[in-house]
Amino acid sequence: MTHILQAQSVTKQFGGLLAVNAVTLNVPTESIFSIIGPNGAGKTTFFNCVTGFYKPERGTLLFDDKPLIGRRPDQITGLGVARTYQNIRLFNEMTAIENILVGQHHRLHAGVLGALFQLPRTQREERQALEEAYTLLEFVGLSGKGDVFAKNLPYGDQRRLEIARALACKPKLLLLDEPTAGMNPAETDDMMTFIRQLRDELQITILLIEHDMRLVMGVSEHIVVLDYGMKIAEGTPAEIQSNTRVIEAYLGRGSVFAND
Amino acid sequence: MKHSNLRNGWVGGIVNIFLILLGLTGLAGTLLQGWLGLPSPAFGVWVSLLGVVVWSAARATKASGTQSWREALAGGALSGLLSGGIVGLLVGLLATLDAGSVEIRQWLVQLTPEAIALLTFGVAPWLATLLVAGVHALAGLLGSALYFAAITYQWQASVKGVLQDAGHSISQTQVYQRIAGHPSATTFAYAAGAILLLTAPLYLGRYWNYTLGTVGLYVILGLGLNIVVGMAGQLVLGYGAFFAIGAYTVALLTAPTPHGIMMNFWLVVPIGVILAALSGVVLGLPVLRMRGDYLAIVTLGFGEIIRILLKSDALIEFTGGPRGVRAVGGPSLFGIKMNNEFYFTYFIIIGIILAAYITAQLQKSRVGRAWMAIRGDEDVAEAMGIMTLKYKLLAFAIAAGLAGLSGVLFASRNKFTGPEDFTLLVSINVLSLVIIGGMGSIPGVIMGALILKGLPEILRELSDYRMLAFGALLVLMMILRPEGMWPSTRQKMELHGDEEKAETSEHTEPARGVA
Amino acid sequence: MVETTEKRPQRRYVDIGRWVRLGMGIIVAGFALWRMWNVFFVQQEYGLDTWTRFLISGIILGSVYAVIALGYTLVYGILFMINFAHGDVMMLGAFAGYFTLEAFKGRGFLNQNAGTAALSVIAAFMVGMALSMVVALLLERIAYRPLRKAPRLVPLISAIGASLVLQNAAQLMFGAERHTYANPDIIDRSTGISFLVQGQEVLITYTGMLTLGLSLLLMVGLLLLVRKTKMGKAMRAVAQDKETAALMGINVDRIIANTFAISGILAGAAGVMWGLHMGILYHYVGFIPGLKAFTAAVLGGIGNVVGAMVGGLTLGILEAAGPAILGLPFQLKDVLAFSILVLVLIFRPTGLVGQVLADKA
Repeated sequence: MTHILQAQSVTKQFGGLLAVNAVTLNVPTESIFSIIGPNGAGKTTFFNCVTGFYKPERGTLLFDDKPLIGRRPDQITGLGVARTYQNIRLFNEMTAIENILVGQHHRLHAGVLGALFQLPRTQREERQALEEAYTLLEFVGLSGKGDVFAKNLPYGDQRRLEIARALACKPKLLLLDEPTAGMNPAETDDMMTFIRQLRDELQITILLIEHDMRLVMGVSEHIVVLDYGMKIAEGTPAEIQSNTRVIEAYLGRGSVFAND
Repeated sequence: MKHSNLRNGWVGGIVNIFLILLGLTGLAGTLLQGWLGLPSPAFGVWVSLLGVVVWSAARATKASGTQSWREALAGGALSGLLSGGIVGLLVGLLATLDAGSVEIRQWLVQLTPEAIALLTFGVAPWLATLLVAGVHALAGLLGSALYFAAITYQWQASVKGVLQDAGHSISQTQVYQRIAGHPSATTFAYAAGAILLLTAPLYLGRYWNYTLGTVGLYVILGLGLNIVVGMAGQLVLGYGAFFAIGAYTVALLTAPTPHGIMMNFWLVVPIGVILAALSGVVLGLPVLRMRGDYLAIVTLGFGEIIRILLKSDALIEFTGGPRGVRAVGGPSLFGIKMNNEFYFTYFIIIGIILAAYITAQLQKSRVGRAWMAIRGDEDVAEAMGIMTLKYKLLAFAIAAGLAGLSGVLFASRNKFTGPEDFTLLVSINVLSLVIIGGMGSIPGVIMGALILKGLPEILRELSDYRMLAFGALLVLMMILRPEGMWPSTRQKMELHGDEEKAETSEHTEPARGVA
Repeated sequence: MVETTEKRPQRRYVDIGRWVRLGMGIIVAGFALWRMWNVFFVQQEYGLDTWTRFLISGIILGSVYAVIALGYTLVYGILFMINFAHGDVMMLGAFAGYFTLEAFKGRGFLNQNAGTAALSVIAAFMVGMALSMVVALLLERIAYRPLRKAPRLVPLISAIGASLVLQNAAQLMFGAERHTYANPDIIDRSTGISFLVQGQEVLITYTGMLTLGLSLLLMVGLLLLVRKTKMGKAMRAVAQDKETAALMGINVDRIIANTFAISGILAGAAGVMWGLHMGILYHYVGFIPGLKAFTAAVLGGIGNVVGAMVGGLTLGILEAAGPAILGLPFQLKDVLAFSILVLVLIFRPTGLVGQVLADKA
């Protein structure tokens, strides 16, 4: 089995706080891989390390066997890593289509000169990009809403648009940060189906941060549990559900599995 | 209920005091005197003062929400009386001082003896106070009565109805429908506009060519700054520095002193533009990683450094020092000297078209989208694969280049340039016109330049109050309409059926907010 | 779908900005060292007495900057916005003090005896501080409060607008010409205590001493206010987290208004000090000192009260002695001040003392 993302004892520190402490994990290619853990366990910090927003103090991160640490976020996106945010961060003053087109940025080439002289190459590229953007819009079920400003979309549509924007980067690895936050059970089910569909139809690897255990257990093939920045467990959903350390970590903060 | 009357009363009084101290009442007086051919400015003075009272009394009545005539009128009179009391005391004080031959205008320059006489009715101070208070009370009465009558008899609705009917009947007329319905109507309108624009310099005199040329130079500057501020969302306050670099490039390379290089104007134009753009990059590289307000301050500091250096004696041999550079060279083509306002109007029009073309093409391109993304959320833009520093630098360089172009035309047209041409006011003016016109919008910038630079030329009396109005407009715009008067619109990109467009069009309101 | 997967060589992360900064740093430092070598070892134009004069005038100037800078820092610390109009609030305070002194002078009260002179000056400070406080409060209420939730640039633009309004209103009301501050004769701007340095007379003017003393008093007072009082605690709480502070029962609007009031009072005092010490007053007088005081605030680490004081003094001394140290014409002292602003923001946006929020800026 090949691994698309290999993290080797990644450590990120904020002052005295070890937000991510020597985390090692290997994400198999074309898998659905979840990172769970209580609030403040360092999940989003780990995402930020992968996407180049934070520079880890120690450890290595390999994507497709290429080192990630030391690259800028835009370069990492260029390699094929895209993400969504826990609190949706769309470009609110742009339309849905424009948001997706921004996602395609690194795959297009038009520069200032191309735009100024309307070179045939640029026009062709724009046309294709627009077509592709529609395909994506349709894929996430937002067709007909392309000209709506992102801020005017309903919440669920914003989540979908954010995923469409990330997909527009043509990622090999997609990082989803709590994609069902604020959704009701029916919407969560939709999202679960959608995530599977993403992997099956587009052959991309999905790295998921999630609090909704039903979703995590239902969709993931592999789970890593973080607590206080450290990896405390790893395995298949069934293994995780019976792991005593995980249950300990969650108990006292209210058992998450109680309603399972 | 009483509270709103009192509050509006004293606010109105204070507003009036400032109108008097700032000389705005006097301005209204002279303007109305001129327009209506009145014998004295007193009419305008009192119209402006009492207008404020009428308005504040109407507001007070609205806020009190009263249902009875008696209460409304009593409240209006009360708020008017309060305003009048405050203004009256000031007037009485001024009259006393004036009678005691104290020269008030020594400290408060607007309060000349004539201006005071207009306020005091030429009677004894105590009587003047009473009169002013009385007149204000009457105006308050009028204001509340007007407002109350308006809501009671629903004047607003009937006025709206009349206007709508009129608009409807115009749009129903055959002539209108035939013109507007014709497929080539838009083309024709554009063609007519273009012909008007292109022939304008021919029948405008020197003065108007010069004035409109100045407005045009500001349009170029505005379009440039619009790229950085409006599209990429980076606030730059020292933009005038790049204007100065363009102007000094042409001045130093074409003027006989201080260097005597006397290069050809046409060669200097690209040099000036490129030099300005390069300096934009050089300044931008270290500072563009800062965000928002720090960037504004750093560029402001940079602009001031450039200006002081130009002004100082330290560089006098290189830049001509505080006296500037004279006899800046102009263009010539086929042996025809083109260095007068008339030709420059055309050059400026060409510059505007160029700048507008650049802006429009970039706005809808991949580059423009990257800028908008950076304006929206820099972190996310970077996570979407945009090399933010590169695009910010690009915006900076293009904006600086356009400012350089404007500067080259400016210095060459005036045949002179000096450090006083590049005060902070230039930068503030350009920023104001971009923000007031509408960030990211080309027609907005043009309209902003026409209003902010053109209007004060038409109404010379207003020019003293220009900067005051700019400042007030900036504050008001930020509070009421941060997207500007003529905000940028988006072209529709979704190519699907019409019914979807109709369905979504109610959502697509213009973009709001800055950065 | 577009097939644009291209094979570009994967370059490692190179921060161009960092190299430019490094290059700039070397150039600036090299230039400064070369000029200083010239001044101290080649030309040796200035004696110790001159350097003492520079130091004294720098400390006095710096203490005024520090008082103004405190106003910037307080507002920035609590709202994260640059109160661009702060310098103009100071200018209006200076005008209020000016009119007060003129009124006393007109009645002959100003120079009757030392007591009346002192009373007049105290009254001028009171009126100046009161007026500046009112202006600052109005500014907050009208131009900033409605924009508290807007994106960061919106209140900044509003502040620029407010600054223009205040400056031009002052020009329209008081005229564009320069006014001379009417000091009482006993604290005339040319009298003071003098002492000898290497046989040369060095003068410290009374206005300078007054300025320095009062500035120190205000700084200590502010520090006590922020650190020891209940209101100071509330201010720090609001600065940390407005929502939580509101949940704890703090009236956030009132605390912010109080902050503006304090910054206005400081600006008013600084304005009257400026007038008494510098003597010249016109509508533009607040802008440049305001900008420099902002530089001082940044230099010390904006949002940091002690930093503002350190920054103010540093900037004052650099401005007074800097041109001489670098062997530049004194005309360029403003260039020096603004260069410091630009360089600090480029190289050390957190300032000399401080710990603060550059990233959020």
